[in-house]
Amino acid sequence: MNFEFFIMNGFGIYVWSAFAFTFIVCLFLYIRTRKTLKKLEKDFIKEANNLSEDQFEDIKNQKIAKEILISHSRS
Amino acid sequence: MLLKKVKIRLSILLTLSVLSVLAIFLLFKVLEDNVLYFYSPSEIKNSDDINLKKKIRIGGMVKKGSIQSNERDIKFIVTDLKNEIIVSYSGTVPALFAEGKGVVAEGNLKDKKFFIAKRILAKHDENYMPPEAKQSLNKDAK
Amino acid sequence: MIKYLNPSYVFKISGKLLNLFKTLLIPLVAIGLIFSLFLSPEDYIQGDSVRIMYIHVPSAWISLFGFAAISFFCILNFLFKLKNVTLIYKSLAPIGLTFNIVAIVTGSLWGQPTWGTWWAWDARLTSMLVLMFFYIAFIFSYKFIKSPDRSIKACTLISVLGLINIIIIKYSVEWWSTLHQPSSISLAKETTVHFSMLIPLGLMVFALFMYVAVIFLMKYRIETIRIKRKGFKKL
Repeated sequence: MNFEFFIMNGFGIYVWSAFAFTFIVCLFLYIRTRKTLKKLEKDFIKEANNLSEDQFEDIKNQKIAKEILISHSRS
Repeated sequence: MLLKKVKIRLSILLTLSVLSVLAIFLLFKVLEDNVLYFYSPSEIKNSDDINLKKKIRIGGMVKKGSIQSNERDIKFIVTDLKNEIIVSYSGTVPALFAEGKGVVAEGNLKDKKFFIAKRILAKHDENYMPPEAKQSLNKDAK
Repeated sequence: MIKYLNPSYVFKISGKLLNLFKTLLIPLVAIGLIFSLFLSPEDYIQGDSVRIMYIHVPSAWISLFGFAAISFFCILNFLFKLKNVTLIYKSLAPIGLTFNIVAIVTGSLWGQPTWGTWWAWDARLTSMLVLMFFYIAFIFSYKFIKSPDRSIKACTLISVLGLINIIIIKYSVEWWSTLHQPSSISLAKETTVHFSMLIPLGLMVFALFMYVAVIFLMKYRIETIRIKRKGFKKL
C-alpha cells in the first residue's frame, strides 16, 4: 500500500475528511429521499386498491395516478 | 380582474425590494468598519483616529526579503506597495506564510508604522496551478 | 407549449429523466472523484489541499444558484398565483441547504491548513452563513405556516432579502477586504485556475449537478404524489 498518497504531505486528513463528509451527506440525502418516494408510492397503491370499483376507475383515468401505478408495478 | 391584482402585487414587490436594498445599504454604512476584515497599510496611514488599545487586523503582502526571525519572535514588513508596516510576532506562523504572499495579522498598533501581532493568518490568492506551471512562468519572467 | 406545462406530462417525463440521470450518476461521480483525487496535480503553494476546492466550489455554486432559483419561482407564485411552481421550490430548497452546509464545512477544512484558521468573520464567510439562515427560514415558512396565503408572503419576503444577500456574497470579495480570495472563475475576466485543475473542477461540477437533478426529480415526484393522495380523501 502506498500510504504517502493517503497522507498527502499532511493535508490528507483535511482532504479526506472533506470528501468523506460530502459523500456521507449526499448518500444520506439520497437514501432518505428514495425511501420516502418508495413509501409514498406504496401507500398510494394501497389506498388506490382500497377504493371502491367506481372510484378506482376514476383514479385510473387520471394520468398521474396511472403513471404511479404503472411505474411501481414495474420496479 | 387578474391583471389588476398582478399589478398591485408587482408594486408591492418592487416597493419591498427598494426598501430592503435601502435598509441593507444603510446597515452596511453603519457597520462599515466591521465589514472590512482588515486594513491596508495605506488605510492605517490615512486614518485620523488610531485606537492603540483596540484589537485590529492589518493585511497586505509580506515584503520580499523582510522576514527576520530569531528564537523568540519573527519580524516582517507588510506592504500594499505604497505604504508599509513593520509587524512583530511571537508564535508559530501558518505553513503557507511566505515572502511575497498575502498575510493578515491580528493584534494592536504601537504606532502607525509598528504592529504587534497576536495571530497571523496566511491569505491565499485566486491563482491555482501545479508547480511545473509556476516554474515555467518564472522562467518566462526572467 | 401547453402540453409541456401539463402536470401529468411533466410527471411522466420526470420519471423517464430520473431513470436516465440515475444511471449516469455513478459513472460521473466516479470519474470526477478519480480526476480530483488521483489524476490532478497538486498546487504550487497549497499542495494537496487544493483538492478540497473540487467539491467546495461546485457546492457553493449549487447553493447560490439554488437560492436564486427558489426565489425566482417563489416570486412567480406570489405574482401570478401559479400553484404548480410551489412543487419546484419545495423540491429544490432542501438540496440548496445541504450544499450550503457542505460548502461551509469543506471551506473550513480548507481554511485550517491554508489560512491557519477554521473560520473568520469576513464578509464572504459571514454572508454565506447568512444564506444558510435564509434557506432555513424559507423551508420553515412553507413547512410550518399553515395558511397558504401567509406562507407565500413569508417566502416572498425571504426571497427578496435572500436575493440581495446573494449579490452581497458574489461581490463581497471585491467590495471589502476579506480573508477569502477573489473568485478565480468569472465571466468578466480570465480564469486564474490552471487548465489541469479546470478538468477535475468541471467534472465535479457536472457530477454534482447531476446529483442535484436526481434528488430534485425524486423530491418533485414525492410532492406530486402527496398532492394526489390528498385527492383520495375527497372521494
